[in-house]
Amino acid sequence: MDTAIDIALKFAAITVAFVVVLLIVAYTVLAERRVLGLIQGRLGPNRVGYGGMLQPFADLLKFILKEDIVPDKSTRFVYFLAPVIATMAALMTMIVYPFGPEIRIPFTSITIPLVIARFDVGLLYVLGVTSVGVYGIALAGWSSNNKYSLMGGLRSAAQMISYELALGLSLIGVIMLAGTLDLAQIVELQSGWHGFRWFIFFQPLGFIIYLTAAIAETNRVPFDLPEAETELVAGFHTEYSAMKFALFFLAEYINMLTVSMLATTLFLGGWNVPFADLLPGGRGTFLFGLVSAIGFLLKIVFFLFIYIWLRGTLPRFRFDQLMNFGWKILLPLALFSLFITATVIFFWPNI
Amino acid sequence: MLALLFILFAAMAVGSALAMVAQRNPLYSAISLIGVFISLACLYVMLAAPFIAAVQVIVYAGAIMVLVVFVIMLLNVEQEERRRKRLKFLVPTAVVLAAILIAEVAFILATVQDFRGSPTEGDIAVGVTHSIGPALFTQYLLPFEITSILLLMAIVGAMTLARRGGLLPPNARVIPGAQQLPLSLVDPRAEPDDLRPVETNTTEEAARLLEK
Repeated sequence: MDTAIDIALKFAAITVAFVVVLLIVAYTVLAERRVLGLIQGRLGPNRVGYGGMLQPFADLLKFILKEDIVPDKSTRFVYFLAPVIATMAALMTMIVYPFGPEIRIPFTSITIPLVIARFDVGLLYVLGVTSVGVYGIALAGWSSNNKYSLMGGLRSAAQMISYELALGLSLIGVIMLAGTLDLAQIVELQSGWHGFRWFIFFQPLGFIIYLTAAIAETNRVPFDLPEAETELVAGFHTEYSAMKFALFFLAEYINMLTVSMLATTLFLGGWNVPFADLLPGGRGTFLFGLVSAIGFLLKIVFFLFIYIWLRGTLPRFRFDQLMNFGWKILLPLALFSLFITATVIFFWPNI
Repeated sequence: MLALLFILFAAMAVGSALAMVAQRNPLYSAISLIGVFISLACLYVMLAAPFIAAVQVIVYAGAIMVLVVFVIMLLNVEQEERRRKRLKFLVPTAVVLAAILIAEVAFILATVQDFRGSPTEGDIAVGVTHSIGPALFTQYLLPFEITSILLLMAIVGAMTLARRGGLLPPNARVIPGAQQLPLSLVDPRAEPDDLRPVETNTTEEAARLLEK
């Protein structure tokens, strides 16, 4: 009976997490449009609701009501499958991030950890699930029976394989420092120095490499060649309309969120807020948990802002530049960072 | 509960495997194979080996099959025609192999009596990251290193073989954006029908050559 209750609770927690993620995505889209407007000296959408706060829901309604066009010569089954794979792979990673410490619910003795699923191999789970997401884009490009879509899909596959290497290598430095793949434990290890012992101070190069490679993995500016509208119409999702297009859109923004969460968890101390342990009651109180969770959210918002900022600032790479940069600069740099980390840990194991 | 999950994932694995063999379209076969790998990963998780499950997904489903799908998409392999003339020796080979497999299963069913022996602590620790790392870098260091070198040699070998013959000379650099242009297009002094190829490594270089 207990297992049944456990399973029901997990289901409830996962549902809540998905709803929260979708809300964050909705407002990231709005924030992107408003911030881009700010950067480009215009207003952005500000009419629906106060300051445009209801714009995401208006957009959603539009997506649902629009006509869903399926190209006549597409490969039906794969064409329908592709957006599902993309969105599912993106959503599935959302359950492993610890967004707060263990907290005690006020006036009771129940303590709950603020993480939905805790794995021994949490980090590998994230990498594995996100690496399946590339099929969504590649298959979408192939099944649309459109040369621009196909080019977009091919570019995406090539780009993701190339940058996955640098991404993985940049994470190994953190894994070596932490000695574990369990995300909750990695965050715990960064709670020293009054919650300021973040791994970014030990892995500055690794952090920069991770962020660069991760932006390439999510197909965002300046690495958005799979959907480069000046060359490929809209790339892999040229033939997708209405809700199926919305699913790709959703997947892209959830992937941005994944990258932000992983960067926060691994490099910026996760939920650790500097000097939060000096709050009345110290660690483990409800207040501490609340402050930590808000700190986690703010760090994610910071990374999402960087994404938008880059989009408003940088031009797009050319494809050969992209490949050269990935293989000839980023990969050797990641190896160099790994080598330095390994050497330092070998000589001073207690760092 | 566990038995139900096992049946679910096992059925998914077997179903995907059958679909992979039965499909005529190579891309569908590839997708089915990805399904097999993911179901196998789920089975590994049930066997308390999360590390192997994760690696299975990352390496096979996430990297190798992406390359396979990539190649199928790039070559746009058409739906395989139903071949009338099959390779003669395949049918007897298949029969023999199937017989061996059935014999193996029968042997295991006959000899292994106790299915429900509960696993010990040592058994559970086998698939966990903490036990794999030390084992890989102490007890099995030599096989591990030899495998790494073998893979490295395979990569170098593949590159050497790919460069030999074909369009590119062995010392040519393969760069995206590289193209071959006919000499008549590049050099105004050449005969108008001189189609000897001129190598350009990047799009920029090609543009520069064309401007001359």
